[in-house]
Amino acid sequence: MPKSDSPVPDLSVPFAGLTLQSPIVLLSGCVGFGEEYTRVEGFSNKDVGAVILKGTTLEPRMGNAPHRVYETPSGMLNAIGLQNPGTRYVIDNILPNLPHSETQFWANANGTSLEEYAEIAAIFDDSPVTAIEINISCPNVKEGGVHFGNDPVMAGKVVEAMRPMTKKPLITKLSPNNADIAETARHCIEAGTDGLSVINTLVGMAVDIESRKPIIGNISGGLSGPAIKPVALWKIHQTRAVAAKHNIPILGQGGITSGKDAIEFAITGSDAIGVGTGLFYDPLLCGKILEELRDYLSKHNMESYQELVGTLQS
Amino acid sequence: MTPQRNTIFEESAEILANVHHPGDQFVMRVKAPKTAATAEPGQFVHLQVSDERPMRRPISIMLTDPEKGTVDLLVKAIGEGTRLLRERKVGETMPILGPIGRPFDLSDHSKRYVLIGGGVGIPPMIFCAMHLIDKASTVVFAGSEVEFPFALKPSTALLPGVGGNTILGITSLEERGITSRLASNAGFYGCYEGHVPDLARDYLLALNEEERSRCVLLSCGPHPMLHAVARVGRELGLPTYLSLEEHMACAIGGCAGCVVKTVEEGEEKYRRVCVDGPVFEASLLPEFA
Ligand SMILES: Cc1cc2nc3c(=O)[nH]c(=O)nc-3n(C[C@H](O)[C@H](O)[C@H](O)COP(=O)(O)OP(=O)(O)OC[C@H]3O[C@@H](n4cnc5c(N)ncnc54)[C@H](O)[C@@H]3O)c2cc1C
Ligand SMILES: Cc1cc2nc3c(=O)[nH]c(=O)nc-3n(C[C@H](O)[C@H](O)[C@H](O)COP(=O)(O)O)c2cc1C
Ligand code: FES
Repeated sequence: MPKSDSPVPDLSVPFAGLTLQSPIVLLSGCVGFGEEYTRVEGFSNKDVGAVILKGTTLEPRMGNAPHRVYETPSGMLNAIGLQNPGTRYVIDNILPNLPHSETQFWANANGTSLEEYAEIAAIFDDSPVTAIEINISCPNVKEGGVHFGNDPVMAGKVVEAMRPMTKKPLITKLSPNNADIAETARHCIEAGTDGLSVINTLVGMAVDIESRKPIIGNISGGLSGPAIKPVALWKIHQTRAVAAKHNIPILGQGGITSGKDAIEFAITGSDAIGVGTGLFYDPLLCGKILEELRDYLSKHNMESYQELVGTLQS
Repeated sequence: MTPQRNTIFEESAEILANVHHPGDQFVMRVKAPKTAATAEPGQFVHLQVSDERPMRRPISIMLTDPEKGTVDLLVKAIGEGTRLLRERKVGETMPILGPIGRPFDLSDHSKRYVLIGGGVGIPPMIFCAMHLIDKASTVVFAGSEVEFPFALKPSTALLPGVGGNTILGITSLEERGITSRLASNAGFYGCYEGHVPDLARDYLLALNEEERSRCVLLSCGPHPMLHAVARVGRELGLPTYLSLEEHMACAIGGCAGCVVKTVEEGEEKYRRVCVDGPVFEASLLPEFA
């Protein structure tokens, strides 16, 4: 039974040296360059701990030809191809206009070479983003991306290249498409990552039976949404075995569409929880997750979200 | 450009009517007061057809009644999502996000707006026509290969260039003093036999030069039809605006999933159909230029 005088549970969380006002983080590629969801009445930046900006490359990228998105059972495929205006533009024209007092904004860095990753880190170091997520797991571009993420040694090298270029926390986003995620996590931790994002999308495709062509312009795309939730939980579980030893926090993600999902991710070991595709189902999802989290924590006599993290029973 | 806050509303909309028509079409009236109060012609809603299909479907707004808080939609069931939507019952509710998108620009009162709609692209044309202040100079041309899902009646106004057998118009428009004509290849009584852009072209060619130069073409419908409309616009040197469709995920500008290629000041770009459109000037679209 909840204690009648129990205080409202504390939903703020420490993450990679930062304090997030909420455990919910809006995921890269789902929320544009930070402000799109504020169009929706009832959406509040204050409900989220951080907003991760769309994947950014050194030079502008047009992205892939349509179709770029397609609904699949319990989820969707996307192959946006990192459409973005380039790092300099983001810093000069986008970041100055974001409401940094309402929430934190993180960059999502994408390089085609170690040098490029390093340069992006150096440029974002002198900017108001409070952290840099390293995307070594984008499945939708020909160069870079998942090619780094699939090789544990290369993944570590990307972190190593960026580490000296910035004092900001680095959060490495791991791919579920590689064989041994724990091994990749270990290399990234040894190279100095401050946090891990688990997981990015799984690679998939869809076919139009009339034209007999792939539906996605890029042929393959990244699968997200509830379809990947069991994979995400398992990969978080595996990653945590390594990360917890080094006190490295995990931003758990992949198919969260309810408070119950968020609680499962917390129990499995998500120090913060990411929401992407879930916003497409319900743009007001964050407020609902927070309410369910508070109810759950009160009911279980817990004082904070943190108390729930990693409480998986064997 | 910084997005405007609190301009899109998430509502649990009650289905007030769901009337089935031939050709897998249905007209749905839903209660969504906030969308009804603020929607403009060309905008659309993003709705969840059922719990089974949580990714939403974009559907144009055909008409609103701001006082009663209702929104009318015309949908053609073409796949699983729209088929689930067709089976929804009066009294049920569904999540609706709207109104979304950059509307048609109807602000220049010196212009004569010529509205050309095809199939389930007719709804935005109806909304435009009802919105225009100068109803007398507005003309709606609508094309369909299946029975029109509207009440029809002989139009009372004469239109230059339009043959004597092409007499039917859309009742709800005619009653408000808006002239309309229909086209079909299906041999329907009272309709122009052929494609709707050709009907519109006949009309435009019959106008005197001064009248024609004041015309602006607005269009929504299947791709081949939009191509034909764009050709007419180019041939006659008339500004042409097209409402486009593309697969969508978020429909509020977050995912860049819904893009169309544009060329602006010589530079190729992918623009988001949901918030940069769905209405684009044809001359900016290489596919239609
Ligand atoms: C701005 C806009 C306004 C629209 N207005 C109307 C309207 O008023 N009436 C109407 O009947 N239809 C309209 N459409 C098209 C409608 O959204 C699609 O027919 C519908 O999404 C098909 O879903 P489905 O599950 O039945 O088909 P499926 O083919 O099974 O759909 C599979 C996936 O592809 C997407 N998709 C398939 N075709 C289209 C399409 N043409 N446009 C966008 N997404 C598509 C679906 O959303 C879904 O995610 C509009 C589309 C857009 C973009
Ligand atoms: C449309 C779309 C675009 C995405 N773009 C990026 C990106 O630019 N960078 C990145 O690291 N991840 C990107 N992702 C992956 C998400 O950030 C997230 O890791 C993944 O979708 C799993 O979470 P979800 O199931 O809650 O969406 C994208 C996902 C989607 C659906
Ligand atoms: S559908 Fe996401 S940006 Fe248009």
